[in-house]
Amino acid sequence: MRLPPLRWLLLPILIVPLAWLLFTGLGRDPREIPSPLVGKPLPVLAGATLTGESFSSTSLLGTPFIVNAWASWCIPACVDEHPVLMDAASRYAGRLAVLGVLYQDTPDGARRFLVRYGDGGWPHLLDPSGRLAVELGVTGPPETFFVDADGIVIAKQIGPLTFETMAEYLADLGLSE
Amino acid sequence: MKGLALPVAAAALLALGALVALEVLRPAPVLTPVEHGLRIAADLRCPDCQSLSVAESHTAAAGAIREQIGELLAQGRNADEIKQHFVNRYGEWILLAPAAAFAWWLPPLVVATALAILTAWLLAGRRARAGAVEPKPGLPAADRQRIRDEIEQLDA
Repeated sequence: MRLPPLRWLLLPILIVPLAWLLFTGLGRDPREIPSPLVGKPLPVLAGATLTGESFSSTSLLGTPFIVNAWASWCIPACVDEHPVLMDAASRYAGRLAVLGVLYQDTPDGARRFLVRYGDGGWPHLLDPSGRLAVELGVTGPPETFFVDADGIVIAKQIGPLTFETMAEYLADLGLSE
Repeated sequence: MKGLALPVAAAALLALGALVALEVLRPAPVLTPVEHGLRIAADLRCPDCQSLSVAESHTAAAGAIREQIGELLAQGRNADEIKQHFVNRYGEWILLAPAAAFAWWLPPLVVATALAILTAWLLAGRRARAGAVEPKPGLPAADRQRIRDEIEQLDA
């Protein structure tokens, strides 16, 4: 039986978009979460710190730095991640700065966390109004931004960092042993 | 049935036109800044809760966004600019409805196209089958009758 020509049109019309959808879907890295901030300058993060000083992220320009949004109630993710941050901060002391941003947390809670799990000595900005979190587009701690010496965000990690992922991000910042 | 199709289609088109005209000509409601802010907040996804808009949520992040919307409105920014302000920080994800109208039209467009193709295909098939049974129009009635009789004789 000779098929009507329209039937042959159906095949590519169904298959081509489906193949395209699958192909682009497979090409994606599921671990990579796009942030509109990647490739752009980090918004200026300024305010009071946990130790009562006033601090601005602009003072960090000149060396690569990490901005870590965290909370003392973020368990276990922030607890698991803490030694990774401590290790990077001490290993690359002088070549890498770290800035903490408290996410929906109380100063007392944050202090207790640092006493319990160790204080790396880097500043932590308080964010009582949640404004800094909105500037960074944080949806939930921990979230970490890797910023180069010019203040450009080169990567964003959602969820806890491991020693392996930290090493990869730091290599992107030009820091490796 | 066939005679009714045209008037029905015309009436439907007229009704649609009237609806569109009503929607376009209706005067824009005058909103207070708070109402305006809540309208914008209703289009934004609450960052730290699920399935709620910034307008409906009581979380700290939603509160911070509502506060910023108020400030941006006071600076004279319009709704689109304010939404873009948050898209620049969170990405398109923050919008409860995708900004690209294309995204809305794609599924019905695909269904409509598929239906059109299916209908055309079925009609073509029916026409082809009908053509196979109907004798060629040029054949005289007497010849047609003679062919039928001979086929019947063959079958018998």
